[in-house]
Amino acid sequence: MKRTLEHAMPKALTLCAALASLLAMTARTGLAQSGSDPQFRVKIDFNRWHDYDELRADLLRLEEAFPRFLTYSSVGQSYGGRDMMLMTINNSETGPELSKAAMYIEANIHGNEIQGGEVCLYTIWYLMENYGRIEEVTKLVDERVFYIFPTVNPDGRDHFMDGTGSGARTGHVPVDQDNDGLFDEDGPNDLNGNGTIEQIRKYVPGQGTHRISHLDPRIMERVPAGEAGDWVLLGSEGLDDDGDGLVNEDPIGGYDPNRNWGTGWQPNYIQGGAMDYPFQLPESRAINDFLMSHPNIAGVQSYHNSGGMILRGPGAEWHGEYPAADVMVYDQLGRQGARMLPYYRYIVIWDSLYTVHGGFVDWTHDGIGAVSFSNELWNRGQYFNSPDLMRQQEDPNSPIAPPKDRYFFDDHLEFGDQYIEWQGFEHPEYGTVELGGWKKTYGRVPPRFMNEELAHRNMAFTLYQASEMPLMSMSEPAVESMGGDVYKVWVELTNEKITPTIIEQAAQNKVVRPDLLTLDGNVEVISAGIVQDRFTPGPSQMIDQHDLKRIMFRNGTPGNTTHIVEYLLKGSGNVTVTYSSVKGGTVEQRFSLR
Amino acid sequence: MHQTLTGKRQRLGRRAARCSKSTLAAGMLLFLPGFQGAEPQYHSYDELTAALRRAVRAHSDIARVESLGETIGGRDIWVVEIANRSGTPIEERPALLIVANLEGNQVVGSELALRTVEYLLDNYESDPEVRERLDNHVFYVFPRMNPDAAELMWAGVKTGRRTNSKPYDDDADGRIDEDDPEDLNGDGLITQMRVADPAGEYTVDPDEPRLMKEADAAKGESGSYKIYWEGLDDDDDGYFNEDGPGGVDINRNFQHEYPYYEADAGRHMVSEYESRALMDFVISHRNIAMVLTYGESDNLVISPTSSGALAPAAPISLLSFADESNAGANEVGMFQAPRPRGFRGFEMFFLQQAQPSGGGRRPPARRPATTVNAADLDYYTTIGEQYREMTGISRVSTTRAPKGAFFEYAYFQFGVPSFSTPGWGLAEAADSGEGQAGGQQAEGAARPRAAPGAGGARPQGMQRPGAGRAAGGDSQTDSRILQWMDQQDVAGFVDWQEFQHPTLGTVEIGGFAPYAATNPPAAQLNELGDAHAEFAVYLTSLFADVRITDVEVISHGGSVFEINADIENVGFLPTSTQHGVVSRSVAPTMVQLGVQPDDVLTGAAKTSFFSRLEGSGARESYTWVVRGRQGATVELRVRSQKGGSDSATITLR
Repeated sequence: MKRTLEHAMPKALTLCAALASLLAMTARTGLAQSGSDPQFRVKIDFNRWHDYDELRADLLRLEEAFPRFLTYSSVGQSYGGRDMMLMTINNSETGPELSKAAMYIEANIHGNEIQGGEVCLYTIWYLMENYGRIEEVTKLVDERVFYIFPTVNPDGRDHFMDGTGSGARTGHVPVDQDNDGLFDEDGPNDLNGNGTIEQIRKYVPGQGTHRISHLDPRIMERVPAGEAGDWVLLGSEGLDDDGDGLVNEDPIGGYDPNRNWGTGWQPNYIQGGAMDYPFQLPESRAINDFLMSHPNIAGVQSYHNSGGMILRGPGAEWHGEYPAADVMVYDQLGRQGARMLPYYRYIVIWDSLYTVHGGFVDWTHDGIGAVSFSNELWNRGQYFNSPDLMRQQEDPNSPIAPPKDRYFFDDHLEFGDQYIEWQGFEHPEYGTVELGGWKKTYGRVPPRFMNEELAHRNMAFTLYQASEMPLMSMSEPAVESMGGDVYKVWVELTNEKITPTIIEQAAQNKVVRPDLLTLDGNVEVISAGIVQDRFTPGPSQMIDQHDLKRIMFRNGTPGNTTHIVEYLLKGSGNVTVTYSSVKGGTVEQRFSLR
Repeated sequence: MHQTLTGKRQRLGRRAARCSKSTLAAGMLLFLPGFQGAEPQYHSYDELTAALRRAVRAHSDIARVESLGETIGGRDIWVVEIANRSGTPIEERPALLIVANLEGNQVVGSELALRTVEYLLDNYESDPEVRERLDNHVFYVFPRMNPDAAELMWAGVKTGRRTNSKPYDDDADGRIDEDDPEDLNGDGLITQMRVADPAGEYTVDPDEPRLMKEADAAKGESGSYKIYWEGLDDDDDGYFNEDGPGGVDINRNFQHEYPYYEADAGRHMVSEYESRALMDFVISHRNIAMVLTYGESDNLVISPTSSGALAPAAPISLLSFADESNAGANEVGMFQAPRPRGFRGFEMFFLQQAQPSGGGRRPPARRPATTVNAADLDYYTTIGEQYREMTGISRVSTTRAPKGAFFEYAYFQFGVPSFSTPGWGLAEAADSGEGQAGGQQAEGAARPRAAPGAGGARPQGMQRPGAGRAAGGDSQTDSRILQWMDQQDVAGFVDWQEFQHPTLGTVEIGGFAPYAATNPPAAQLNELGDAHAEFAVYLTSLFADVRITDVEVISHGGSVFEINADIENVGFLPTSTQHGVVSRSVAPTMVQLGVQPDDVLTGAAKTSFFSRLEGSGARESYTWVVRGRQGATVELRVRSQKGGSDSATITLR
């Protein structure tokens, strides 16, 4: 452990800080050894869903318990006046935030896609509870910065959690969906007051379109053509609130917060829900202001649900595939993720999901220059997650064959918690009807008891991505006299991680400051070049720049790569060579010409 | 109130009288600080502000001026609302939005906008036509969208900057605004430098030795000059003035055909304070039914072609050449990435073979329209003809491709007829053989614009030599403007003069002066101002205007009644452009009968919508059969986003 720790800590780390860190580890280790398993400092439930206030309360408890690393703040307010909550994880003893590569993690941009909030909470909790106990965690916290937003749509989250949960995908900026000049005036209504918007069915013997399935009385199926059913379906629970003859035609919000970003943005008729211009929404604007002022962000994860996917851009085919060098980086990370996340596939958004214009991860890749993934949390295949059970499902007579499987699971593993039986109701407009159906917590979120695994596996992938963010190092320069006061100096610049310091797309778009290799000393630079191959003779590739004391690397240092820069210097004395990268950190060495 | 084409012609007949009245009005303005002697002058920010305040104060019943906030330079973005506020609520009236000076070096638009404000206010009492407009419609006027840049017209050294005051790393080298231009020859103008250099790409134009052209190797020509902007290489990176003060061109910052990551376009769409203020205003004023902008693009002097494309841009080649000298500045430091290697080498090789595979749903990605819809074209043509007739402008100076321009947004995404004009023109050349509007139009027809975002191709630059060539010859625009300057005695071209440059040696400094090719001489402002004010008044005569007409009630006995009614558009324009329908950006017109929904037995629903109704008397017919009480009254309402509203009270009998 000690060896790894020295390896992990930058040289800038003071002795004092190192001691403090070691002391903390000793204390924690001692605690852990007193029982059969670590005793965690902060108890948080990962088998239930948190509303905005509960998330906030847990974040504040974590901050209080781990003040050395955690800072809670808000980067702005949602339309509904809720905080855009941010937890920053940074070990200030290893350097200020902006000096280290940062992993940006967010969740819940679609208000109904809630479980990413718990994944964020779990990630903070796990990193803190295991700092000093698990080497790899300690290293991550010391070397990296984490910006974690458990919900970037707090209005939608609370509408899902504390309201009926119907139509919670959107944010809450009012939109006049039915063009009558009124805003959000006719949403669904929870007529029976049970907290869920159910389906409405009406018994109309011999005149209906649907019948009750023989497979399970809870399943409504459409009757074949030419036959009459006994039931009609009348949509979701609601009234004609504004008396215009239409039911539920203008609910709250009415757009897609994940189409309001700056890359490939298209107007509503091309991309539904885009709103009028990118970053129009208070939430996307607050997040973008944060992104723009934190150029150290090198990795992005935006948690969604559901389907079991590790998504990357581009969102639209006509954007064109990412540059080949970037595709290789994504493929390495994404394929590793697919090994860590059973039932998840690593896929490209436009190619295997659907076309998205103006999506968040497109923007963070294209406009911010951060390697960006979006995980679609939870795959229904996980209900019956063994090869044997999956084989049984292929037999139509099996009680777990679709579409019976979900009822089986609810009956036997959730004890009927998720399904609301049909019950009679007197509807003011439809007369005697029945209300019933699935609860909002069924389908797109996992069963509560399975959420901790979901949180852990997805966190593990995201931490893997974080550990593979760029990290520069520089060997001690080799100085060789060329006679007189002329010297040849070799400087080796290494990025040992998968991610380049500047992804190719960012270099093309010029959205990340170039890496800078600077010399400080009483020398004149005759020439500088990049050594093509250290083991075979031949000239270096001459660097054709005006100011060779400040060499720009517009596409940075690629992943798993060592650049060797060969200088011909004229002069004497001490020289400092510095490589400064916005996302890869700053490293420097001193050498003497004599 | 509905201005038909006949009415328009009548008004044109009155134009001569109107002009003399305007001249009188201008005479009365002599004491204003913006004017010195008998000649009108361009207004600085303070003068413009004072003029607006004065005009509005004198007519506070029908005008108000509001600031949408401050620019980085601490100047207000003014918007003037002009309407008689009694009567129909303002937000239900069709509005004309006028925006000027999005491009900082295009200041003439501010003068035209200011003159329109003054014209409307001065003539409200005396001119029944103006009065009718202000009683029934609204004018929103943004006279100066980029006040920080416009103010540089009065700077000691004039650069002609288009961009706002956002600090910006134009050459993306990690240093911000570190290489600004220098007025080496001390004439107060940043012009161009030409340097004899056997490696240069340019040569002196044999027809006009003041102008330069690109040497054509295919014709055996060899270049002998390099061309730069006047100045020094402050940051010693080999480029001159590649990163001066200023950041974002507001008229390159909007959402239609946005030039991603191009020079001056900003970090993203609507990234700037100015553009955001305008967008927020526009989307909260859906009654805006037409847009007129003054800027460096044109669709009025030359109407869109039969395929709906705009005339190609006409940039000034000499300026493009100077720009081109800095084109490489933000490529410095691009290295061919070596193949990743090392301990993961084998894995890399393996992964290269495996791409994420498709097989999912692939709905065809729909592309946004980039040409004016065929059904809207005739309206553009009619209005363009009228513009040329009313202003007398038939040839424009320099223009550029409107990537990310506001007026393009206003048609392609906001869905209303939207116009841009430089607001002035070059007098017809004595020999009318070249540079005619018609000639350019033909070229436009032959060259449809490229689709956006195609295959990651670099969007067409705004002032690059390529664009100049495509626009019809290397120096056609240059020579047209130079000829005009000579004829009109406009001091807009600085003759080349030798100068000893500290790093380049002997150079010549000269070329086009800032502002001269984008703004007319101040002496023309009065006449142009009147013509454009009248044109603005004309535009507001065209709005759609929905009316309920021919209401009929038939009693079928008992409690059953049949109601028939027509909705007629008595205005000139349709209730929506066709593109407004296609893009779903103009709300459908709502027709609503004020009964309980279940009292409608058959026929139209209680609430119905139609997407578009042509003007000049086109009708939409409705029938409702309702249950009701004899003698009861029912309210019928029609509400059009761009064409006003109407209501009728119907008695069941």
